[in-house]
Amino acid sequence: MAAIGSAVGLGNVWRFPYICYKSGGGAFLIPYFVALFTAGIPLMILEFSLGHWSKSAPPETFKKIGKKWEWAGWWSSLVPFIITAYYVVVMAWCFAYIIYAIDLRWGADAEHFFLTTFLGVTEGPMTIGGIRIAALLALIIMWVLIFIILYKGVSRIGKVVIITVPLACILFILLAIRGLTLPGAVDGVSYYLTPDFSRLLDVNVWLAAYAQVFFSLSLAQGIMISYASYLKKKSDISNNAFITALADTGISFLAGFAVFSVVGYLALTQGVGIESLGISGPSLTFVTYPTAISLFPVAPMLFGVLFYITLFTFGLDSAFSMIEPITAGVHSKWKIPKEKATALICIAGFLTSLIFVTGSGLHWLEIVDHFISDFGLVLIGLVECLIVGWAFQISKFRIYANNVSDIRIGRWWDILIKFIVPAVLIFILTMAVYNLITTPSEYPWWALLMGGVAPCIIIFIIAFVLMKLKGKTEVKNG
Amino acid sequence: MGDGLSLSAIIMFIFGATICYGGLAYFLYRAYKSKRRR
Repeated sequence: MAAIGSAVGLGNVWRFPYICYKSGGGAFLIPYFVALFTAGIPLMILEFSLGHWSKSAPPETFKKIGKKWEWAGWWSSLVPFIITAYYVVVMAWCFAYIIYAIDLRWGADAEHFFLTTFLGVTEGPMTIGGIRIAALLALIIMWVLIFIILYKGVSRIGKVVIITVPLACILFILLAIRGLTLPGAVDGVSYYLTPDFSRLLDVNVWLAAYAQVFFSLSLAQGIMISYASYLKKKSDISNNAFITALADTGISFLAGFAVFSVVGYLALTQGVGIESLGISGPSLTFVTYPTAISLFPVAPMLFGVLFYITLFTFGLDSAFSMIEPITAGVHSKWKIPKEKATALICIAGFLTSLIFVTGSGLHWLEIVDHFISDFGLVLIGLVECLIVGWAFQISKFRIYANNVSDIRIGRWWDILIKFIVPAVLIFILTMAVYNLITTPSEYPWWALLMGGVAPCIIIFIIAFVLMKLKGKTEVKNG
Repeated sequence: MGDGLSLSAIIMFIFGATICYGGLAYFLYRAYKSKRRR
């Protein structure tokens, strides 16, 4: 349940439907399922096996594979920590919007309200523009909430997800049903599902499918390793991986109906084409959706509140799961009590988040997210496959997984982890570098350097430093 | 647009729903069965 909560996040709502629509509509489901079964699920089985085998946090897991690989565990724990720093800010926006939805405070111009009144967005990343008080207050609440959930350890995580995951799913189904009963909804859904099979010949569509699967399943972030370390000895690894991956895909698929039905309604009401409306990222969540909600014929406030509660709940499970690997790593290496380790990480996370609640926050969020998602996560996934596939006997993990699983995996899994997945990840990485060089960015090069390249390099260096620092047991042993 | 869902869109809906929700139901059933066996 916790793994499902972690995998299902804001990306399922604001990324999948948009990519599907842009990449051939319903035809995109074909490359998506291929990517899911050839990369997503095999990688998830690998991460579950790693965690279940080591019964440790990611850094110690990689250390058990080989002492020199501990840095890879720290690296894969630090990247989600950086992601959380801005992810929590988006959750803070959702939290603020739960309150704003009570009186539909965004009024007739949701875009102006979001960008100017709420965020006070400056003209560029270097014009900081001061801290936004409403966003800051919501941010403090978010970090306190994450601390409260994490500091007691895995037992409290279990209690939280048993409520939040089903609640978010039920609310989301309600929202999808409401959306589908609006006029114009069928037109919107038609945009989402009508297949354009010619797009399957475009290599970028296949790359988009692999990238979406990779990001959506919370892979290469140490999360699944960390959660699997808490699984019982007899837990079924393969079946759990299939359930987590398919539940995540099911929510993404459903999100398409919730999003496109409402977008279709808005397009009909305003007499504009769907293409002219923001259907991805913050513009979908904080501009298009609130605009549509204001026009709902019945109970707009209720559906507004429900929509942001749903997003907030989806985000919360993902946010605390991203903090868990680094907290568990610090707790395990230096034997710092869990409460103290959680407090330290949450304070560090809060301080890192501060830049994202300034007037320039949205600019920095876009820059950091672009680099961490396109380069950081893909690189870690690649390193993970190379270490386990080539520096360790991959077949040992297959045998280990088979020993505790109902569904047996064959030698094909070894081939996928050793050759296919790394090849796909190298290709995604190459394309990302190519796009970075050839596509002009709206931001100056130094901003990309400061907000994108620098954090990636810094966390890589910190990972090595953390590996070199002596842990408590190592100190005792001399 | 405006003519409702095309046949190809309906087919893709059935395809997606079968794999996502059918697959999920199948693996949940297997998990349930295996849990009872253990």
